[in-house]
Order: sequence, then structure tokens, then C-alpha cells
Amino acid sequence: MELQESKIKSFVTKYNSEKKALISILQEIQEEYNYLPQDALRIVSETLGIPLIDIVGVATFYRAFSLEPRGRHIVTVCLGTACHVRGGLKILEEFERKLNIKAGETTADKEFSLETVACLGCCAIGPVVVVDGSYHAQTTIRNVGSILKQYKKKEKKNESN
Amino acid sequence: MKATKKINSIDDLNQVIQSQIQKRKSEKKHVLTVSAGTCGQARGSLKVTESLKKAIQKKNLSNKVKIKVTGCHGFCEVEPNIIIQPENIFYQKVQPKDAEDIASLTILKNKTIERLLYSDPVSGETVLKEDDISFYKKQKRLLLGDNALIDPTEINDYLSIGGYSSLAKVLSGMSPEEVIDTVKQSGLRGRGGAGFPTGYKWEFARKAKGDTKYIICNADEGDPGAYMDRSLLEGNPHRVLEGMIIGAYAIGAEEGIIYVRDEYPLAVKHISRAISQAEKSGLIGKKILGTDFNFRIYISKGAGAFVCGEETALIASVEGRVGEPRQRPPFPAVKGLWNKPTNINNVETWANVPLIIEKGNDWFSNIGTKGSKGTKIFSLVGKINNTGLVEVPMGITLKEIIFDIGGGIPGGKEFKAVQTGGPSGGCLPKDKLDLPIDYESLTQAGSIMGSGGMIVMDNNTCMVDVAKYFLNFLRDESCGKCISCREGTQRMWEIVTDISEGKGKEEDISLLEKLAQAAKDASLCGLGQTAANPVLSTLRYFRHEYESHIFSKKCPALVCKEIISAPCQYVCPIDQEASVYIALIAQGKFEEAFKVIVKDNPLPSVCGRVCHHPCETVCRAGEIGEPIAIRDLKRFVMDWARQNGYQIPVQGLKTDKEKVAIIGGGPAGLTAGYNLCLKGYQATIFESLPVPGGMLAIGIPEHRLPNKILNADIENIIKSGVTIKTNTALGKDFTIDDLFKQGYRAVFIATGAHKSMDLKIPGENAEGVIQAMKLLHAVNLGEKVRLGEKVGIIGGGNAAIDAARVAIRSKDCQKVTILYRRTRKEMPAFEEEIDSALQEGIEIQYLVAPKKVLVKNGKVIGVECIRMRLGDLDESGRRRPVPIEGSEFSVELDTLIPAIGERPDISFVKDGDNLKITKWGTILADEEVLLTNREGVFAGGDAFTGPKTVVEAIAAGKTAAESIEKYLQGKKLARDYKLSRPSIYVEPIELTEEEIQKAKRAKMPKLSLNARKKNFKEVELGLKEEKAVKEARRCLRCELETKDGKNAIGRTK
Repeated sequence: MELQESKIKSFVTKYNSEKKALISILQEIQEEYNYLPQDALRIVSETLGIPLIDIVGVATFYRAFSLEPRGRHIVTVCLGTACHVRGGLKILEEFERKLNIKAGETTADKEFSLETVACLGCCAIGPVVVVDGSYHAQTTIRNVGSILKQYKKKEKKNESN
Repeated sequence: MKATKKINSIDDLNQVIQSQIQKRKSEKKHVLTVSAGTCGQARGSLKVTESLKKAIQKKNLSNKVKIKVTGCHGFCEVEPNIIIQPENIFYQKVQPKDAEDIASLTILKNKTIERLLYSDPVSGETVLKEDDISFYKKQKRLLLGDNALIDPTEINDYLSIGGYSSLAKVLSGMSPEEVIDTVKQSGLRGRGGAGFPTGYKWEFARKAKGDTKYIICNADEGDPGAYMDRSLLEGNPHRVLEGMIIGAYAIGAEEGIIYVRDEYPLAVKHISRAISQAEKSGLIGKKILGTDFNFRIYISKGAGAFVCGEETALIASVEGRVGEPRQRPPFPAVKGLWNKPTNINNVETWANVPLIIEKGNDWFSNIGTKGSKGTKIFSLVGKINNTGLVEVPMGITLKEIIFDIGGGIPGGKEFKAVQTGGPSGGCLPKDKLDLPIDYESLTQAGSIMGSGGMIVMDNNTCMVDVAKYFLNFLRDESCGKCISCREGTQRMWEIVTDISEGKGKEEDISLLEKLAQAAKDASLCGLGQTAANPVLSTLRYFRHEYESHIFSKKCPALVCKEIISAPCQYVCPIDQEASVYIALIAQGKFEEAFKVIVKDNPLPSVCGRVCHHPCETVCRAGEIGEPIAIRDLKRFVMDWARQNGYQIPVQGLKTDKEKVAIIGGGPAGLTAGYNLCLKGYQATIFESLPVPGGMLAIGIPEHRLPNKILNADIENIIKSGVTIKTNTALGKDFTIDDLFKQGYRAVFIATGAHKSMDLKIPGENAEGVIQAMKLLHAVNLGEKVRLGEKVGIIGGGNAAIDAARVAIRSKDCQKVTILYRRTRKEMPAFEEEIDSALQEGIEIQYLVAPKKVLVKNGKVIGVECIRMRLGDLDESGRRRPVPIEGSEFSVELDTLIPAIGERPDISFVKDGDNLKITKWGTILADEEVLLTNREGVFAGGDAFTGPKTVVEAIAAGKTAAESIEKYLQGKKLARDYKLSRPSIYVEPIELTEEEIQKAKRAKMPKLSLNARKKNFKEVELGLKEEKAVKEARRCLRCELETKDGKNAIGRTK
């Protein structure tokens, strides 16, 4: 995706160019591009008057931000305590194996990014996996494959349309 | 959506509230409330709503029924659930397809739908109404109760339950000081962690110098396993807003911020909407309700940092900076957001405020304990039947929450611990279940209230793993400012990780304790100060688990992967590499599989038929489907090897070391002899019976274990060089002293447990009462036994089933009845054996106990029994059978066979043998190395442990051989513990997705029922090659998941 300076600037002005809105602005950029492109951070730095190093500091401090491009589909495996005691880690490992990447990485074809979260607060239905915002309840290592398949399938359908 | 009208005065507000209340009261419709918090939606509650709408329309019921999508009803376990008002009917796990029935049966015909009712996990009864469900009964849902009443996206719905009337009350005459005083008097304490008294906090901020002040709602609910704040924001956002507006008025703040997790999209949506509605209504903004009070609220979204739950870190984050905490004082009440006085409370605390104002501080302080007032919401999660959000008065006990409200532990498992307070909290064990829950008691017990996460753990949870989990979380979330926290959490995590991987050292525990103290003393904020709690509390209550990881390389809960490797191998008493031979079978390499099996097992054909297969009980494939048929696969390989002439290569061993005597030729003795020969010793087995094999030869009937199979294994053992002397009994033919005189340098006693236990009821000495062991013994040795037509068996173990199946095969027997005092669930016999018995026409009467044997002319004619019911749990964790008075009945019998257990018969031990006997009649020996009180004499197997299984006896034989070798070499006697690992790593095979989906456990083919009649032909026929290979391909190959495993097959990524 090509970076548009005007777009980045519009995010900044949306928050009245206030320095305190840095995190919100970064959230908007990430929403748009799926990650925080370096050039975008530069533009934010210039417009807000915050040194780039501080922006990078914030961007790397918070778990939600990524400085690397992420995949088309974001797979988030919950590793909260309740999911953990119900085997969340095994689910993560199965995704790692199936996608052949580690948590925090993106597949070479940029289709999937695998991420973890410390709790989604849906402990009753754990282990929980969220793919692109939709929740998969009580996952087992046996249905990891079929979860991924759903998203692969969708692409094929869309392509043939 | 209707445009919300601006409310201009307090009177206006009161009028609007009254009119909304009236409107709700006059509502004549049924209201279907659908629980649609995040969990509900994830379970499909919105789809259910759509179907309900369609069904209502289709039946033209729109004028009779209103559908309301609400926040979470708290009972997450049974999502999606709906409550039908005014009847208060509770339907659980509702699916879209149920909508039609709900409309046509419940709404139109007033009929309840049984399948949708909640069934109590304890009593098994179905419950119609919400308030009658055990989950809700003991709760006091002051905050959460309203979730089911209102549509969180409609401000009018909140007004219709009297919402915002507390704001009206405050603004119509209470001074800020009066408000603060009311909150102070109520005793409300912060619900987010440390429990600081809210009123005092407000007072500090009120009294702080400065014109600009802020209030913040902390909705950064970062504790994993806690989600009550999410539920309140999603389900009742206006109540949180009302609390904040009142607080702002009391403190003198004109701006409020809600700092909410970005991981809670629905909560963000609902609270945003609520803010805009409140603004439009004039409840937030300039000159609120015509007064001079100005207040606005905006949302600041967190970006995933646990430390931002800490006040000063949160403030840094709101200011757009890195969320690092800073030194306090100055406290935020003096110097907070933008260096202005700031008051921070969490969601649940704010939500309590309107209640206190409405009902008064006395009302509130009457709930709870001396130091902890009101209710607290807990998220009851983990290994619990009724997962959900639970709101209870302070002071309730853990036991009441976990067992009365939570319905106990699923799957009949045992409660082990409950973790409270999130990563800063601790784990409390069973003996703390009676602890009343309040701030002080929890702290004293080594945990904290925290935000109210309550994670229940059962025996399958490893406490070392739990500590590791939290440390991993904390080292990840430590902001890095203080070295004691940054390095402390990291090092503690490394140590605990080493322990969990079987690499722990003796000094690790004390090192952990020192590090924990340092982190506590030297860290700036709550995160670091409490980071050691998970370690300290698990060390305090579960030290033995750490020790077993460190010293025995065991993880009792079977969790720590690097210790367990493949669970099947890990639990096998003789370390059989099941996952390896299964992998070889999957590739058709049967000869190699054979070699792997016989390497560790001198009785492999026997085990392939009668082992109690603990491996299958723990098989991971069983967690997601059915366990691998490991025993059947072993049998397949052994049958294949025998048919193809493969032999165990043990001939011509050089056995010229010391002479060792083994007393007893059962599995323990045979194994000890075999292993000693492999080590080069001269082993002689003395067997009192005419045949070797012990229980295998005389206790297990031919239809389960044919003699030729047993003998094939025994012949091989003899080939290794073992001498077996049959019909030679200790105490009769020789003494232990004799053995030493004859030059034996060590003795192993493995005489088994052959003596049947008595029923201890009148008449059991009559003719026709035959002990099960005696019957099996006689039949196995080819003696003729006459049982008559009707045979009764007392007992529920394998011996009972064996005796029953032998009886039904005997010549004139027509009917066999097993009488067992508990239910099938508690029966200790193998499942598949019970099934076979039933198929063969054996009747089993459950919950029946014998009272006396009915005797005529000295001969059995029947047995008088009494019916039982199951009472409370006994020490074995099974429910104790209790007699039902007056339920006596009799069963006519020709033969009665008691089979209630065996114990060792040690009458052969004479005073001169100088052996100590335990009060259970077993030989006393050291558990680890099997040495008795007499030098050079070892004891093992059933004679030492009491009746156990074949494979445990084989294990005892192996241990004895090792100990005896060490003893004869003059080495220190000690067991060597090492990590369970396979000797080779076999490449995994690739399965297709289809194969994975379709894979089912292979069924053992059996002899037809007709072909079994009145004979002792082997019933189980063995898996055919194709089936065995297919079955082996299902194996999940757990051993490849360890670091060693991954390295071995080059999967290091």
C-alpha cells in the first residue's frame, strides 16, 4: 500500500495536532496500514514536533504496535491464564507449526500474522483464537487446520469472483 | 435511533426517569433478553437474535414480544442464553434453530422447552427460572443484575430502571463534601487492586491545590482472567458514567478520561455511544442540568501494556508517552495528569457509586465484612463447571464460590488451587477453601483481591508451570525501569523454566526466594513489588511440586513438556517407548518396532494383551478424540514377530557373576531374573506353584491370556539363562538363611498377593462359596470345578469380571450375576472387560451389597443383599455407598464367588527370616531401592505394594535387578532419575487433513459370541496389519515436541 502524506496528516489533524494524542494517531495509522510504516512515523514526528526517537519509543513499548508489515489475516491466540490452563499454548504451537512461523512473525507470502494476547476476557470460551476480529471459541489442536482453511478459502472465492 | 432530547434541569431529569419507569412497568409484552457480551457474540448470540426476530415476525407476535439485546448475563458457560420476562425463564445454549420453538411453544402456548433448560451439574436436575439456578442463588448481583434488564445502547433503558436518579439526588442538594462523606462512610474500597478507601482518595483530590482537576476511569483491565470491567462497560455503560459524573462533582473535576483496553472493541463501542447519548441529554457537558457544574468525558485507548494499569504509568500513557510508572509521592491526587490533581478509580469502583448515593452509606456498609464492604465481582474461570462472572457479598468463602456457585470441578477431577488477583496475586490450596474473601484475609494467605480474577485449577494443572506462566507474563510486561523488576522477573523466569524442563538444581528454590525478596523490596511500582507473588505463593503451598521436578524429574500433573516428552512413555512404569514403536508401525517397520518393545520389556506378549495401559489413559489423542490403541498395537507387533519367527536376541549370555535367588516366579520375579542375567548374574527363581508365571499363569483366564502366549515370553526369559525351580516354596522347602548358606549373595522376594479377602458376612464358609482366586487358579491348572446353574459374584474389579466370564464358560452354568456396591462409573475393572462380560450375557446389579450368605444343609442356596445409594466422597475420591434401610432382597444361587480383592499371603515368613512386616501384611522395604530391613534381601511387586498391576510388577523386577547389582558391586543404593526420552527419534509422517478429520480409534476384532460359548478360546483376535498401520498413523508424536525432539528431526524453527 502506498503511503499518502495527506492521509497521515489527516490523522494528526483529526486530533487537533495534540501531542497527547500520539497513541491514538498511531492506532489510526496501524488501522489503515496494518503496521506503522517508517515514513508515516517521520511525518507524525514532523507534524507533531515530537522527536522520532520518542515516537519509536512509544511504538515499541506498546504491544499493539508493529513496525513490520503484518499479514492480510491477523491470527491472535489468547494466552490469558484461563486459556493457558485449558491448553492455549498448545494451540499457539499448532498455529506456529501449521504456518511455519513463530508468534510475532508473518508468513513469507504475507497472508498470515501470528500474534498473542494476554487476555481477551472471554475466559469461559477458552482457548480463544481471534482471526480478523472474529472469535473462535474452545479451539483444539485438531481444528486449527480448519480455522486457517476458512480464511484461505475465502481468498480463493474472492479471487474467482 | 430516536434523537435523544436534552434534559435541562434536575426536575426535568426526575420527570424523564419517572416516565421511563412507568413506561417499563406498563409494558405488556414478553421480553426476550439475549445475552450478547463479547463471549455471547462469539458463541453466536447475534445469530440467535436474528432467528428470534424472524420467528416472532413469522408468528405475528411482534405486538406480544419484545427482543432485547443486552450485555452479558454473567453465566458465560451456557452462552448464548436468553431470559424470558416476566416469567424469568432461563434458556441456555440457545441455537438459531431453537427460535421457532421458543416462539411457537413458549410464547404462544406457555410451554417450556426442556432441552433448553439448565441442568445442574451436581444434582442433574433441570431448572426453569433464573433465580433458581445454583449459579445465581448465592450471588448478590447489585451491579451485574441490571445487565440482563437493559439494552446498553439505549440511555432510556437505563433511565427506566431509575438510572441517573443518583446524579439528580447529588445535584439537587448534596454538597461535594457530603458526597465524599457518604462514600467514605460506606466503606467502599478500590476494586482494582490494592483496595484503597475510595472516599479518602476523593478527599485528597478534592483538597489538593489547583483549579484544574481530572478524574480517570481505569478500564485497562490487564489481569489475565479478569473481565468484570469489560462486562460492566459492555452491559451497563451509563452506570459507570453516572458514577464518574458524581465523582467529578465531588472532587471538582471538569474533565474525565476513560482509559480502556483496545482489546475490548465492544466495550469501547458501547461506552463511546453512552458518552455521546449522555452529552446529547445534557448529563455531560457545560452547565449540567442547568447547574454550574461542567464536566466532559473522553476516551483514551490503551495499546496493550499491562503496567498501564498502574496509576502513574496510566497517566503517562494518557499523556501520549511510554507507560512507565514514576516515584510516588507525589500521588496523583496531588500531581497527576498534566501535573494536576487527578483521581483514578477502576470501572467497578465507579459503578458502585450511584448505588451508594441512591441507597445510602448505611445500606452499603451493612453488606460485607468489617473491613471490606459491599459486593465484589469475580470472574470464575479455569477448571470450573459454571464459568462466569460472579457477584458476591464480601466475606463469602472460597468454597461457596467454587462449589456452590461454580458447581465444582468438571470431569469429577479434584480441586487443586485457586489463583486470585492476577499476576500480582497468588495460588491458594485446598485447605484455604474456608477462607472468607476480603482484602485482609486474602493478603494474609499470600494472595490479593486484585481486580477479582479467580482461576480454578485441578490436578491436571502444574503449579510450577503456573508460576512460570505468570513470570513469563511479568517479564514481558515489566516496563524495564527498575532493575530489580526487569532482571528479577527475567532471572526468576529462567530458573523456573529450568525447573520445568527437568534442569533444576537443589539450590534453585532458595535462590528463587532471595530474588523474590529483592524484587519486592527494590521495585518502584506495584508490578515489580508483587511480581514474586506467584512464585512465593506456589512455593509456600506447593513446594513438593517444585521438589519433584528438581529431584525426581517428575511433573505430577503431566504438564511440563520437557519433562514429560511423550506422556505414554512417561507414565509407563517400565519406560516403554510407545510413541517410537507406534511411529515405526506407522511406517511399516515392524521388526524395528519389535526391537524397541522388547528392549524394555521381558513380557511383551503378555503386556500386549493384559496390561492396564496407563499410557492410553494419558494419551494426548484422547484429549481431542480417542486415545491410540497402544496395547493393541503392541500385541500386533508381538504377534507379527512370533508368526515371522523373530526372536529376542538373548541366547548364550555369559552369566558368571554372583548367584542371586528370586522367590516367586510371577512378573516381578521373572523380570528381575531376566534383567540380572542380562547383567551377567546367575539368577535362580524359586516358585511354589507347579508352573512359572504367578498371577499371569493362574490368575488370568485363558480367554484373555492364552498359555502359549505367556509361555512364549517365559521361554525367552529362560533362554537368557534364568533357572526356574517350580514346586519349591519358601518356608516349606527352604529358608532365607539356607539360600545364603548355599552361596546366594542376594535375595529378591516377589511372592505376589494371592490371598483373597473375606466378605466378613455370616455363612461365607458354607459349601459353594469359592473365592475368585481359587476358582481362577483351579481352572487355569486344568482342575475340574462344578459351579451349578446359578452363580453370583461379589465385587467389581478385574478378578470379579474374570471369575464371571470363567463361570459363564463352565459346563452347567446358566446364569451369572455380578453384585457390585457402587455404579458402573466407579467399577475398577477395565471398561472393555465389563463390556465383554455384558455381551456374554452376564448380568451386573449395581448398588447392591451382600448381607449374609443363605445356607441350607451347610450348602449355599443364595445371598441376601441390600440396596445402596451413593453418598459423600470417600478418601479414594469415589462416592461412598450407603445402605438403604429396608431394601433387603435375596438372590438364589448355587455358587457364590467373592472377588473383593487380594492381599499378600506372608505366612511363609518365619521369625528366623528376620523380615519386618507392615500392618497391611506386606513386606517392609525401602520404596526407592526395595531393600528390606535385612541385608542383601530385597522385596518388590505385590508382596511389597499389595495388589497392583502386571506392568508395575515388571517395573519392580527391573528396579530390584538394578538395586541388587549396585548392592553386589558395593555401590550406594539410590535410584537414578533421568528425563523420560526415547532412544531414537523417528521422522513423523504427514497426514492429510481428511485423514485427520476421519481418524478413529481402531476397534479390536473379537470372537463372535457364539464361538465363545463354553470354551476358553482367546476372545480378542488382534488387529490386522492394515488396521494397525492406520491406527499408528493417528499418533500425535508428542516426543517430537520437546527441544530434543525438534532438534533430532531438524525442526528447530
